[in-house]
Amino acid sequence: MCPLWFQADRGCRSRLASRWWVILLVGSVSLIVGQRGMSDETGGGGAIRKQATPRESTIDQLLAESWRKAGVKPAPLATDEEFVRRVYLDLVGRIPSVSEATAFFQTRESGKRAKLVEYLLEHPDYPQWFATQWTILLLGRGDPGERVDRSALVAWLRKQFAANRPWNELVHDLIAASGSNRENGAVNFVLAHLEPDAVPLTSRTTRLFLGRQLQCAQCHDHPSNEWKQSDFWSLNAFFKGIRVEGSRSRGSSRGNLDAVVLADEPTEDYARFEKRNGMVGVAFPRFLDGRKLPAAGEVERRAELARMISEPTNDALAQAFVNRMWAHFLGRGLVSPVDDLGPHNPPSHPELLEFLAREFQSSGYDVKQLIRLITASRAYQATSERPKNSSPDESPFQFHYMQLRPMSPEQLFDSLLTATGAHRAGGSRSDEKRDRWLRQFLYVFGNDEGEELTTFQGTIPQALMMMNGELIREAVSAKPGSFLAETVRQAEAQPRPAVYLVNQLYLAALSRSPTARELAQAGLFLQTDPNSLDVLQDLFWALLNSNEFILIH
Amino acid sequence: MSFASQPGSGMSRRHFLGHLRSTALGVPAMHFFNALRAQAQSVRGRRSCILLWMSGGPSHLDIWDLKPESERNGGPFRPIDTSVPGIRISEHLPLLARQMHHLSLVRSLDSKEGNHDRGTYLMHTGYPPTPAIVHPGWGSICAYELGDRLSGLDLPPCVAINEPGVGAGFLGMSYAPFVVQNPSGRIADFDPPAELSPLRRERRLQMLAETENAFLARRKSQLALDHKLIYSKTLRLMNSNQKEVFNLETEPAAVRDAYGRGSFGSGCLLARRLVALGVPYVEVSLGGWDTHADNFETLSRRLLPELDRGMSALVADLARNGLLDSTLVVWMGEFGRTPRINQNAGRDHWPRSWSVVLGGAGLTGGQLVGATDKDGVEIVDRPVSVMDLIATMTKAMGINIQTQYTTPRGRPMKIVDGGQPIHELLS
Repeated sequence: MCPLWFQADRGCRSRLASRWWVILLVGSVSLIVGQRGMSDETGGGGAIRKQATPRESTIDQLLAESWRKAGVKPAPLATDEEFVRRVYLDLVGRIPSVSEATAFFQTRESGKRAKLVEYLLEHPDYPQWFATQWTILLLGRGDPGERVDRSALVAWLRKQFAANRPWNELVHDLIAASGSNRENGAVNFVLAHLEPDAVPLTSRTTRLFLGRQLQCAQCHDHPSNEWKQSDFWSLNAFFKGIRVEGSRSRGSSRGNLDAVVLADEPTEDYARFEKRNGMVGVAFPRFLDGRKLPAAGEVERRAELARMISEPTNDALAQAFVNRMWAHFLGRGLVSPVDDLGPHNPPSHPELLEFLAREFQSSGYDVKQLIRLITASRAYQATSERPKNSSPDESPFQFHYMQLRPMSPEQLFDSLLTATGAHRAGGSRSDEKRDRWLRQFLYVFGNDEGEELTTFQGTIPQALMMMNGELIREAVSAKPGSFLAETVRQAEAQPRPAVYLVNQLYLAALSRSPTARELAQAGLFLQTDPNSLDVLQDLFWALLNSNEFILIH
Repeated sequence: MSFASQPGSGMSRRHFLGHLRSTALGVPAMHFFNALRAQAQSVRGRRSCILLWMSGGPSHLDIWDLKPESERNGGPFRPIDTSVPGIRISEHLPLLARQMHHLSLVRSLDSKEGNHDRGTYLMHTGYPPTPAIVHPGWGSICAYELGDRLSGLDLPPCVAINEPGVGAGFLGMSYAPFVVQNPSGRIADFDPPAELSPLRRERRLQMLAETENAFLARRKSQLALDHKLIYSKTLRLMNSNQKEVFNLETEPAAVRDAYGRGSFGSGCLLARRLVALGVPYVEVSLGGWDTHADNFETLSRRLLPELDRGMSALVADLARNGLLDSTLVVWMGEFGRTPRINQNAGRDHWPRSWSVVLGGAGLTGGQLVGATDKDGVEIVDRPVSVMDLIATMTKAMGINIQTQYTTPRGRPMKIVDGGQPIHELLS
């Protein structure tokens, strides 16, 4: 069947010449169609592909050993296109802009991937992105209530990540924080999880910082791991003695909370819990390794707990974090689920987990150093294309090729704006528009709290929003200020405007040039529709709605 | 029906054009609705549930369990007779009183959670919240158990009207409620921009398919396949005649008036239309029940008239259309309210002894289960737990009450944990 747009075009060809830039296009379309691909089918510019293999690191050696055992072959390195998009999303939470991507493609320096990582670690979006992620882990995405100042926690975390604060110190400060929730943003983590009886605080603390799942032991001895009910409540007893005071501004008619102050007082209190047999159990503070606190007053229990958890020699702290970071960069933890470590759930690569944890500890819990280590590995730099001749039931969790991962709602939102400039379309008030969209976006997309996802957790409202929503309409609207409008303007000065335009759209949305086939197809569409802007808008819409856009690959 | 696109196949051009043709022909809405209804009813043993959710905690003692003899706790409302001898309910529910033979009243629910969030979670899932697991809402369980069996259903299997309901927990977002924020309005982003010609819509989808397929060809990933699947589901809905279900304008004015044109009445009407097409679970919320002050004014002037109209019209309509036999109707909130009337003429949170209503889907109507004492404080007959209620609802839906899931973290979860169906309601 003859394609529709082709038929439609026959009657319209005479109108083609009525627009200035169509004239420019027509001249170049034949060039596009006949031209050799700007990039080949494998998706990478051949010339810029001479990426030196990273020096084999210990990570690579440890993985290579397991690949040999499993009989799988590692995938080739990712192209620069794949890599630049991946590393921007992972380190700064958004895709690269056209100019950022192009700058990377064009440089011929050796070791440019490591240099890009270095550049991004110093980029202001890096601490912002890690602060955003950790706020979601610490508070969840929902409304934590009026006692919690979310933005103060974000600001505090941003400062810590910007200063590359050692992870164990950061954790210490989160657990031990006291004072006003406005002045000391760290306070808000504890504040958010006090009710009822600091049970949520106990489980979040062990889950997030120690990678230990004690929450089931709240009600019963755990059937499959080592935890007893008394372990949970002995840890919970560290949170006895917390005092919370809210101050309301005077004269404020609605009695808004000014600030909430978190403090501790010496206590001899203990945790009470109901055992399965109906008896009541009693627990005094006892850390997971058996250390106890003197029962009588004097010590601040929470500070003691923070100290024990953050001791540089605490292997659980280091393992939990490196495992989470491995999952962040590679799509799945060496232990999975990412926060369920322990003898009952052995790691897929024990030596690798141990190596990373040891390196992390000896670096003084240096987060950026850990990121350098992981991103320099061959596993991180492998392509996400499944190796040819690989058997269909080959486990993807050998890390011999890169896993696809869904973007978080925050990554998706920021990437859409980076690609399209939708918030600048039509001129003024971009902040107001951006905030409103973000709220809509998180309402429709915000579901889990950063669980590892093996399925695409898409919903119909999400797809509707991506296809028909206000943001996407503005994004492809070509209103002044938008990326599309700007690109069309710049195309005037180009010798081959059509090639330029299509290329820019692919770069903006997918951080790569179109393949020869894609370019030829776009050329056909352009050739057969008198309104070239419509074609470009439709193409941009399609790219932004594609799996290639919404997945990290 | 011509909407035969297989999940995952994307939208073919023929499918798309078929849609255009059918709308171009201007098939009258009622015509295909009748066809669809006939089809939906042919699904044997199909069950649906409409949950009427009274958010804020409804004052059961002023609605279902009046205590006119109680000096301190009685309140100003008088009970009236209903279509069932011996069951008397609030004077502000005259229309509902005539439908009582379709419904049964449980006056002895003890739910233990007196906090809004915890109560909402408990009543929606059957479980109190715990850090160990995010339980799926019971509506999502219905969608999971029953939705996928309905091959002719283009609509989401779990719909929440006016308020978002409770999520799907580990069952995943596909079973989470599809939220209709305004039943009288349009669904957000349901249609492509009006200025987009059919030709361009078609072109966009073709370009999208090209990009997706090229990406998939080199990365055989479940994630990328799932993305395609959800887009194909969404397109199927966008192009389905069934989406007309959301347009209440096609209802005769008399019907709209009978239900009431407020958000609750309109929601009830939309719920009836949805279950008629086979949607397994629809929740309709009526908010504003957190009456710590001015309880009686709020109830008599606003909430009870709106409830009376919407719920009675719904039950009568379902019965008239023969849908009540396959549709479970449940009325509940997160808890009841205190027997004691506070100094602001309000009542506070009370989970200890309160009332819920259920009927339809083969449950015996006109029954009275349990009782509270003369002041409405203690349960004096047949206490019912939340799990008993969930067990009853699960059984009424034809779902095996022994069903057990394993969460992604390997923890077992039973749909019904320790509850017994209320045998008085099962014939």
